[in-house]
Amino acid sequence: MLNCNLLEPDEKIVRKLRSVEYPPVAHPGAKVSVVDDPVSINFPLPTRAGNWSWTRLVSLGFTALAGLFLLAMIGVFLWESLPVWRQFGFDYILGTKWFFRQHEFGILPMIYGTVMVSALAILLAVPLGVGAAVFTAEILPSRWRGLVKVAVELLAGVPSVVYGLLGILFLRDWIYRLLTPFDPLSGDTLLTAGILLAVMVLPTIITLSDDAIRGVPVLQRHAARGLGLTRFETVTGLIFPQAWRGIFASILLALGRAMGETVAVFLVIGRRDNVLPENWYSLRPLLEAGQTLTSKLGGSETFIARADPLHWAAIVGLGLVLMGLVVGITWGGAWLMGREEGPDAPVA
Amino acid sequence: MRRWLDRAFLVGTGGCAVLALTVLLGILAAVVWRGAGAVSWEFLTDGMRQVGASGGIFYNVIGTGILLATALLVSAPLAVGLALTLGVYVRNSRRRNRLVMMLYLLNGVPSILIGLFGFVIFGVLLGWGKSWLAGGILLGFMILPTVAVALFERIQALPANTTEAAAGLGLSESQIIWSVILPQSLSGWLSGSLLGLARAAGETAPIMFTATIFAGATWPQGIRESPVLSLPYHIFVLAQDSFDPAASVRVWGAALILLFLVFSLSLLALPLRLRLHEESRHD
Repeated sequence: MLNCNLLEPDEKIVRKLRSVEYPPVAHPGAKVSVVDDPVSINFPLPTRAGNWSWTRLVSLGFTALAGLFLLAMIGVFLWESLPVWRQFGFDYILGTKWFFRQHEFGILPMIYGTVMVSALAILLAVPLGVGAAVFTAEILPSRWRGLVKVAVELLAGVPSVVYGLLGILFLRDWIYRLLTPFDPLSGDTLLTAGILLAVMVLPTIITLSDDAIRGVPVLQRHAARGLGLTRFETVTGLIFPQAWRGIFASILLALGRAMGETVAVFLVIGRRDNVLPENWYSLRPLLEAGQTLTSKLGGSETFIARADPLHWAAIVGLGLVLMGLVVGITWGGAWLMGREEGPDAPVA
Repeated sequence: MRRWLDRAFLVGTGGCAVLALTVLLGILAAVVWRGAGAVSWEFLTDGMRQVGASGGIFYNVIGTGILLATALLVSAPLAVGLALTLGVYVRNSRRRNRLVMMLYLLNGVPSILIGLFGFVIFGVLLGWGKSWLAGGILLGFMILPTVAVALFERIQALPANTTEAAAGLGLSESQIIWSVILPQSLSGWLSGSLLGLARAAGETAPIMFTATIFAGATWPQGIRESPVLSLPYHIFVLAQDSFDPAASVRVWGAALILLFLVFSLSLLALPLRLRLHEESRHD
């Protein structure tokens, strides 16, 4: 017995109508995004009564498997890091000393490193990236825009180890020369890692912000220009109020990526433990070697730690903390972005 | 005043764009400029000798190829299952959104954590040590969101009349999926896979604890304790502790080859993606 729902076509028309671009609601604070629209499925499939089939069963099974992978990852990190939470509790996060031979495990310096490095990267990359995105989306003729976009998306795929190599062989020396007045020990500093990360997340910010800006309907632009607004006024008064969500989401996704980046940071950060500033306003540690959560995880200590349960728990704990940070940020970014677009990767 | 502001705005954003592109293209130029000298036929067909100071990267390319092929094979069925679940089976939009959010999160997980997780599961729990299969599976899960979403978007963009016609012919749900939906959305899977593989090819963090070593592996034999060489890990190790000038020329050569591989994979996906965009415009 086929069970085609006769109401389906009507609903399709409704959805089509809903997807027509209406003029914007002009007052500030109004919801103008498409976040709350349902993802439409545009064909009705006949379903049998009590329907099941191998295809369905296997598909749902594979979906469950993907979910399980994510849950198992969190579960394993929780379970394996349990000893260190039992022993130190919250002091594990607030502790400032990491000496694994003395069984002292405090990860605050690494959290500090991760936060500083990725904050620096975002501070540098956001003005540049959003500026470039405004230019490609609003000013560049569309033929050129396509070309630039392809180039930027290609560059988004440059492997992080290649960035690391460039960092080690060029950036490190430049930074060292630049910092000579401050008498640095080497070119391996938090600053170096931050700059390298800024370059790495730049393509992500450009291409996703560009998408967000282009998402504002063309008609509105024409209207604004027709009213005699300059391009600057169009962007600040019309585009940004509508596209800020997407731009902010691109920044959050870039931040998540910067925090989780391992190999490039590992190569240029110097990997010195227990670096914290004397007071929180001091930026001096930026000019010194340091350690991030990822550079610690990527180091040889991960192998050594297997021999000692508490040490191993402390290492896995780093992973758990990193997971918490990144998942929180990614979740925020994805939530802002809505579900119309694919994940962070340049899929569509 | 307004005109000044506008002009400053033009110059400012244009400057940003030019600066950003210069930096990014400069990176490309640096790799090509440094690496081109090292690449030769022998470089591609010889194994590594003298800790990277002479010989080539043949087995590194092979190893990366093995990892990518495994990742492709692992991700394909999972991605098809996920895309069908998203596009066909789950009709409740709230549930579907939850699934998409799960994919977002999986996509956002730092690759080092995938490596750490794989080390615990495959290396320790299953006792595989370092194994190409572990690396391939991990990379497969890593690219899963990219592949699944590309396929899902293609399925969504399918014109309704083909499926309606198939339903009108009396085909069952599964028959429609296998004979209409999946063949029609092959390009989505292909472009997603190519993009995913382009990303997987350059990843070091997921495989450095689980699948790859620096020297002393050729073709894998078996699963347990059978690591492969790989391009990114090769570059990673040499970048850290190579003071030998001969090795440092070769490491740029390896970086150039890796970049070439990554760019070819994503450029191959480009025409497919552009076509998809055009079709969805016509809708």
